[in-house]
Amino acid sequence: MTDTAATSSTLARSGVSVEIRGLSRYFKDVAALKSLSLKAEPGELIVLLGPSGCGKTTALRSLAGLERPDEGQIFIGSNDVTDLPAAKRSIGMVFQSYSLFPNMTAKVNVEFGLRVMGLKPKERTQRAAELLELVGLASLASRYPHELSGGQQQRVALARALAVRPQLLLLDEPLSALDAKVRSQLREEIRRIQLELGITTFFVTHDQEEALALADRIAVMHQGQLEQLDTPLAVYSRPATEFVAEFVGNVNRLKGTVIDAETVEVESVGKVAYSSSSGYRAGTRVDVLIRPESLGVVPATTDGCTVFARSFLGASLKLALRDKNGVAITVEVSVAEAASVATAEVVTLFSRGAALLVRPAS
Amino acid sequence: MVTLAPSIPSKRSGDTSSNNILRLGKPFRFVVLILVGAFFIVPIASSAKFSLQGNNGAYTISAYTQLFHTSDFWASLFLSLKVAIGTVFLTLLLLIPTVIWVHVKQPRLKRIFESVSLLPLVIPSVVVTLGVITSFHNLPNIIYGTPVILALEYVVLALPYSYRTFDSAVQSIDIKTLVDAGQSLGAGWIKLLLWALVPNLRAGILGASILTFAFSVGEFAVASLLSFNTFPVFLVLIGRTAASQAVALSLIALVFTWIPLAFVMIAFSGRSTRNRGATLNTAEVDA
Repeated sequence: MTDTAATSSTLARSGVSVEIRGLSRYFKDVAALKSLSLKAEPGELIVLLGPSGCGKTTALRSLAGLERPDEGQIFIGSNDVTDLPAAKRSIGMVFQSYSLFPNMTAKVNVEFGLRVMGLKPKERTQRAAELLELVGLASLASRYPHELSGGQQQRVALARALAVRPQLLLLDEPLSALDAKVRSQLREEIRRIQLELGITTFFVTHDQEEALALADRIAVMHQGQLEQLDTPLAVYSRPATEFVAEFVGNVNRLKGTVIDAETVEVESVGKVAYSSSSGYRAGTRVDVLIRPESLGVVPATTDGCTVFARSFLGASLKLALRDKNGVAITVEVSVAEAASVATAEVVTLFSRGAALLVRPAS
Repeated sequence: MVTLAPSIPSKRSGDTSSNNILRLGKPFRFVVLILVGAFFIVPIASSAKFSLQGNNGAYTISAYTQLFHTSDFWASLFLSLKVAIGTVFLTLLLLIPTVIWVHVKQPRLKRIFESVSLLPLVIPSVVVTLGVITSFHNLPNIIYGTPVILALEYVVLALPYSYRTFDSAVQSIDIKTLVDAGQSLGAGWIKLLLWALVPNLRAGILGASILTFAFSVGEFAVASLLSFNTFPVFLVLIGRTAASQAVALSLIALVFTWIPLAFVMIAFSGRSTRNRGATLNTAEVDA
């Protein structure tokens, strides 16, 4: 790409804050959103993460004005836009399915919003060229959508969304139809452009890796409600709820007994550190949620966990184990460490990190 | 461990008979083409021969020249064309926004609209006409008693063809996403329709227009019952007195329908070929 810095300087702008207050949306009797509230700071990229049907797309479409909430308010900057139609909200949106107008070339697609705004052809052409340059597709400006690959189409869609200088950029699973390699490249492109332009952005995905890699903050949603809004590190290492712990990353759920306010005895593992505001009394039976990488293994001879599968992941080795009670446990160790248990049939577990969550036994 | 693929039973000889026919190759295809072509061309050629034969067996174009000098011929032709164009215009005006609205805003109503659009097929046109006569005779003179009522009726009667053709075109594109994308870019419904949707629904609009036009130009029963001297009504009337003129008229009708259709099809296929001409260069995929 050439002269990106110069291009972005003409496009640069400062982001605005976006606030959702008590947003609810019902489809007949089903609540897609239940009193959702969150605030994005200017220039921030918030990823709405959750399983299918959790309400993340409904939240995004409400932000866009494509869905009308039953309750609540939406503010872009200091303006209450709750009752504004999509066409008047100053947003740019990229959709999951390829949304380019098939009858228009890439350039004309990018110019669409500018034409709606009433810009003169010369200005439109100049702005479209800047945006196509920004997404690295200047040479394909005269191509029709069916002459572009999926990744290229999404880049054009991004350029089209940014061309109107929106105050807010909304991305609804824009990478889900792409293959893994293109997905990873485009993800980095989106983040680079978002940072360059400093535009406040909401990104919907159900892919936790995508969310962790992209977000300034992740809003984990479940059944129409916000489970946790925090940085990727905090969401991963200090999940607020069991749902967040189990949805973001992998987790083992093991039985344990509380020893004191900081330690719990976990079956097949031993003593594990934990922190909890619940104040469990010593001897309380609990469920302990612990990440695979917070467990270590050493070869054992008889009494231990049986290894029944090994998966090589490149930088690490994932071991699938069963303890003597038949409970499945997953452990992830570094490749260097894996050598010691490469041929072991039975291993002993130990803790190398704190438990994620401790909950009363189910 | 080596996994063996399960053996797939070979096809029985009876299953290959259709393949054998396909393997007959070019000569067989030409035979089929000639037979199908003859099926269409022989009746037309015979009609042309009959219309060009005079009483004494000599060839003459008197049947055609007499027709062209009949004032009713031109009047009925222009009336039919006027009604057909009006019907197409009204159909598109009704159909385009309605079908798009149903697909984008009320997809649950699609089934109901489909069923309603098929009603003219099950209700005889005579019944519809009598219904119109008894129900709408109080309408202002600008509608009732003028070709406008004919066009309005044809809009309804041609609905099974026009609705399904346009509906299929709408289903072939992701219209909801296109509407969402257009609205997110600031476009209102008019701009969205004119700039983004109609150009992408050109095939459906064209198909619906052609079918509606053909239906309107060829419809006899309703026009006759409502006492309009349209082209088909004129054709039937003239057939009672001059057989060769009636056949000549049928051929003229054929030409009048085919020429515009051919123009439209050629123009459309030319555009679509240009749009789809270039292919994706694999070296550039996600470069």
